Formats: sequence, C-alpha cells, structure tokens
Amino acid sequence: MAVDQKLLDILVCPICKGPLEMTAALDGLICRKDRLIFPIKDDIPVMLVDEAIPLETEPSETTDL
Amino acid sequence: MNLVITGVAGFIGSHLAQRALEDGHEVTGIDCFTDYYPRLFKERNLSVIRTDPRFSLIEKDLLNLDLDTVFAGKDVIYHLAAQAGVRASWGEQFKIYTDYNVLGTQRVLESALRTGVGRVVYASSSSVYGDVTDFPMTEATAPRPVSPYGVTKLAGENLCVLYSTNFGLSTVSLRYFTVYGPRQRPDMAFHKFIKAILQNRHPEIYGNGEQTRDFTFVRDAVAATYTAGFARDVSGQVYNIGGGSRVSVNTVFDLLRKLLHRDIQPKRTDVQKGDVRHTAADTTRAARDLGYSPRMTLENGLAEEIEWIKDIYTVAAGGGNGC
Repeated sequence: MAVDQKLLDILVCPICKGPLEMTAALDGLICRKDRLIFPIKDDIPVMLVDEAIPLETEPSETTDL
Repeated sequence: MNLVITGVAGFIGSHLAQRALEDGHEVTGIDCFTDYYPRLFKERNLSVIRTDPRFSLIEKDLLNLDLDTVFAGKDVIYHLAAQAGVRASWGEQFKIYTDYNVLGTQRVLESALRTGVGRVVYASSSSVYGDVTDFPMTEATAPRPVSPYGVTKLAGENLCVLYSTNFGLSTVSLRYFTVYGPRQRPDMAFHKFIKAILQNRHPEIYGNGEQTRDFTFVRDAVAATYTAGFARDVSGQVYNIGGGSRVSVNTVFDLLRKLLHRDIQPKRTDVQKGDVRHTAADTTRAARDLGYSPRMTLENGLAEEIEWIKDIYTVAAGGGNGC
C-alpha cells in the first residue's frame, strides 16, 4: 500500500518547511534544499530530522584536503 | 565570561562551544547554516549543546546581523564563520568567498571595535602559505596563496592585524593545518575516504597521493583556539596550529584501510588547481605564547573520526544501510 497522496500533499520538510519530492523508489521524501531524504517505513513517512538520510550527492564535486 | 562563536554549528566551532560551556562560560553562537553541506550535519554538531541554558543560537549571516547588539558586553569573539573549500573557490563562487570571508570578517572587527570587545580570535588557514619551498612553514614565511580561498583567508587575517595595529583592537589569528576528527565536513578528504571504504567504494585520491599535510586533530586545534581568547601579550599575532607530523595522503589511506580492515584500492585522479603540494607547521611560536602542544596521534584521531562516521551514517540510514 502506498503512502496516501493527501498526506503527501500537506507534508513539508521539518527543517525548512519547504516542499518534498518522492524518491524514484517510492521509499522516501526528498528535501532538495536541505539535501535530505526522509525515509518511508511501512508506508509511514518518518519526518524526524534524526532519521533523515543525507542525499548521496556530495555538497561539492571537490574534496578538501 | 561571555563568549561569541561565529560559525558555531560548524566542525571546529561546535567543538569550541562545547569546550567553552564545559569550562563554565556563557556562549552566544552565530551561524547562518549555509547550504555548502547538508544542514543535518550542523544540527547534529549542535545537538550536544543545544539544550544548555548557557548557550544561545542566533541563526543569521554576519553580513546582515546587527552585530553591535550581539557583541555588546561580550569578552571574546571567536570568529570561525567562513565559506570553506579550497577547490570550490574558483569561478563564479568567488563572490561568496569574498562576502563571507572578507566582508564578514571586516564587519566583525568593526563591531568588536565599536563595542569594546576584549579579544577577537580569527580562524585562518595554512592555505595562506601556498606552495612554499622551505619546511616547516614558520609565521615569518611569506604567504603566497595558490587558491582564491587562501586569498580571502589571508585578507581576513591581514584585516585582523590592521585593526590591531591601527586601532588597538586585540586580535589573534590561528593558521589551522588540515583539521580532522569527529564532525569533519563531508567534503573533506578523511570523511570521504572513511565513508567510501565503509561502503566498499573506491575513494578518489588526487595525483599520486604523495602530497603531504600536517594533520591536526580537532581537540588540539580547539585547545589552541580556546586559549588564544585569553592569552596575554599576543595582540596582533599570527600562529601556526599544526598536528606535529607531516604525513602523505597515501600513508593516511593505508592507515584507514588497516583501521577499517578493508583492502579497498583508491581511484587516482588529476591534481586539482589550488591544491598545495605539501604543508608542515612550525608551531614553536604557538607553544611559547599559547602553551600549544598537540597531543593526539594520527592513528587514534582517525579511529575517533571512524567511530563518528559509522554512527552518523548508520543512524541516518536507520540501522545499517549507510555504511
């Protein structure tokens, strides 16, 4: 069972209050601004900052030494 | 004492705030949470101190904040806020570096002067030296940065000296040499190496990996920074803060593989513009004036960073997907 669309429409990022996008695998909600994925577990979006996953894209293409 | 720490949510700033609170000071932190890396890391950096009643956080950038109101009645300003990143400082991004690192620093100094703050400690960088030929680098070595980032950090440092010599504002600048340890920024090499090895990926090493750095453990850097806020007869001075040993990137990588028990091979890529070949700090002056003496060995320091990285990614991934 998928996450209810009405629920998704009203959910915002708990940090910036901005919009969220569904991941391609339908397993999380992405905040582009904060570069975080909020995982969906058992069809329930987990909107806890402590459980958010940093987006795999690195903040910069470069590495600082 | 009443202390202000700019860049308080960052790698070194958050450790410094923790140290100052442990010693019984009041800390006002300033951070604008730039999007250079995910806010999540900075929130976690602050989580230990966030609920301390002697800590307050102002979420604003230094270019727009009424600094006089914040600085009034404060004893020491630790100015650690900056736009970081050597290699990201070329091209269009440079304006961000001049805004935060030069204009931001000038605003801090002007306001500190107006409000009668006792000391401004400025976080400078070994990047100000550039490619020198004589090692170790001493504070008397002529700085010739090879990256726009280094240019802006040197400009900030020069401003500190100017405000000290012209107006008597007490400033101290610390040239940090490649700081590492728990909370290291996610764009920094050790963080990327450890994360990649844990995920069985191949980390990138620029060039042949024989470039060397004087790696400094974060608590050693914090000890020097903290002391610089209170030390006597140091106004207008600049100090090298290094870890005490010069080690190649290849050596660090081998050490990480040993500590993590994984035989991952790195990917070799082109040398990056702005990357200096070697750094090595002469810390004689910091030892004499600040009592600075780095204590952490590279192996133990890396072990601490590994534990932190395991924790942050494993927790974030909900139990094991991250690393």
